[in-house]
Amino acid sequence: MSTSTGTMPRPSIKIGAGAVVCVEAELRGDITIGPRTVIHPRARIIAEAGPIVIGESNLVEDQVVIINRKQLGQEGPITMTIGANNVFEVGSRCEAVRVGNNNVVESKAFIGRDTEMSNGCVIGAFCNITSHERLPEHTVIFGDECRRRLQADKPQAQTLQLDFLMKILPNYHHLKKSTKTKSVEKS
Amino acid sequence: MAAKLELQRVQILCSCNARSPITQLYFCKHCLKIRCGKCVSHEVDSHYCPNCLENMPSAEAKSKKNRCGNCLDCPSCQHTLSHRATSVAVPDPRDPTKTTTKKAYYLACGLCRWSSRDAGMPDKDSASGPWLEPENAGARRITDLSDYYHQLAKQEKMEREHKKFTRRRAYFRLQEKYLSPGAPGRRRSSALLSSFTGLALKDEQATIIPVEPAVASEEVDALPNKILTQPVVLEKICTIRQRLQHPDHHCVSVEQMYPRHKHLLIKRSQRCRECEHNLSKPEFNPSSIKFKIQLVAIQHIPDVRIFLVPNLHYGKESIVTLIISNPNEKRMSIRFDGSNPKECEDTHATAQVIPPEDELMLGPKDPTAEFDDSTADIQYDAYNDNTEYVQFRKAHKLGVLFKVIPQRATDNVVVVFTLKYKYKNTAPALNSSQDETSSPAAVWLEHEVTVDIGPLVSE
Repeated sequence: MSTSTGTMPRPSIKIGAGAVVCVEAELRGDITIGPRTVIHPRARIIAEAGPIVIGESNLVEDQVVIINRKQLGQEGPITMTIGANNVFEVGSRCEAVRVGNNNVVESKAFIGRDTEMSNGCVIGAFCNITSHERLPEHTVIFGDECRRRLQADKPQAQTLQLDFLMKILPNYHHLKKSTKTKSVEKS
Repeated sequence: MAAKLELQRVQILCSCNARSPITQLYFCKHCLKIRCGKCVSHEVDSHYCPNCLENMPSAEAKSKKNRCGNCLDCPSCQHTLSHRATSVAVPDPRDPTKTTTKKAYYLACGLCRWSSRDAGMPDKDSASGPWLEPENAGARRITDLSDYYHQLAKQEKMEREHKKFTRRRAYFRLQEKYLSPGAPGRRRSSALLSSFTGLALKDEQATIIPVEPAVASEEVDALPNKILTQPVVLEKICTIRQRLQHPDHHCVSVEQMYPRHKHLLIKRSQRCRECEHNLSKPEFNPSSIKFKIQLVAIQHIPDVRIFLVPNLHYGKESIVTLIISNPNEKRMSIRFDGSNPKECEDTHATAQVIPPEDELMLGPKDPTAEFDDSTADIQYDAYNDNTEYVQFRKAHKLGVLFKVIPQRATDNVVVVFTLKYKYKNTAPALNSSQDETSSPAAVWLEHEVTVDIGPLVSE
């Protein structure tokens, strides 16, 4: 584990019941991972400027970077919150401090720190969003010009995929032990 | 690849006096001339859908307005739509208290996540079959008008043929001359002509059903009040591009958008305009990317590439290395003719170029040599290369030294020279029918090459 700094008293990682967090994932700082969340190997979650709280049933794929970045002149820790049922696809990068529920961040997409994700938003592959705003619910951002539209319904939850990963990942990877309950059930 | 090879910097003058990079040129083996895309005739070989790769005869394509019957485009982002299947719960017809699951199909876009449910289109029970499409309000009027124009065109054609027929007889021409130009068909039929085609013409005229002309009105509906009172939600209004995709519906809000049928693409063949031989002919099968005939220039004429450019100074001589490569599997002799921009005004040249005076020999191209470095440097001594002109030689490539003297203090240095090469037709079967005894003779061909060497070094 990383060494403690002045602003953070003691970095700790809390992993909820049923969450699958691979050992190869890089977790730095004070991180709370909710139940039934899957974190792939080589994902990086870095709590630099304050704790990161990740909710229930999220999917964080390989090479994803979720970072609570330290800003110039920042005083005191800022907590980064990620809601439930979000999907971060391969190679995406999220710096947003507030992410709601049921969002999809597609491959190689980037969300800046000033943007706030509400619920049911989709950031398309390779879209770069750094604007200072709260994205309206069910916004879809797509294409190389980051065009926008509102969709009628939130994207479907990846329950089946999560169930599958929870079964398959422990067969090939070592997992970080969940802190609250005794251990993750191994198949 | 285009950036890597910097194709725009070396351009070849086509036989139609346009300059283009070698990759965009054709070489007609029959008239031994370079042709570009602008000086060949293009023909449509077949229509096909780029998504389902279904072939379509041109008559059918015309009747379907050049669109595929099965594939649809997203109205929001013009990406191809895909079919999605889900199961929905419906009340059991026998027992209303229970529910059963039923397969339902809808359309979804992979890019912008538009779905046919967004547009309020009902789901389908089966995977195949057409989607419900909104009725075009103007469809009837459009068919009426196009029918009318068809009739007019037919009548005009008849009249033209009729004129051809009558002009042979001097009397009728006279009669035409002295009659007023208005309504010539009817006048002509009054006289002797009635026994000829005039009868048929009269019948044709009778069948034309006039359409009522459109009436322009000055009165326009007033703007609805909500335009002034309600705030605009940009996400709910169609963009201009989206609206223009649907000229028949004039959809204003995104809920009114319906998928469009996918445009067909064509396979085309290119033909030399002079000798009418095919220069490029694709295979008929839409899924094949191969060609039956492909006479691209890069396989026939020597390729010129920039290899090494030293610092260029205004008015000073520098030595530039260009690579000339042989596309043929036989040796090829080449010569150069330089030009001075002061002497000829019509070129783009900004520098004088002094190319090698001697005839140079390009080695044969051996496709396997590229995989075998050890044997590449054999028997180069046989070429007797003059080191004054030749910097290096490797397989079918030759590094040739050109002396360049920039003549203009601004802009890029551009040199123009004529490349002459001895071309031997490698396909003798084509002209063997005419005289079987003569082997294909090698001929000297030439074309002008324009090379943009790069910027001057500022003093």
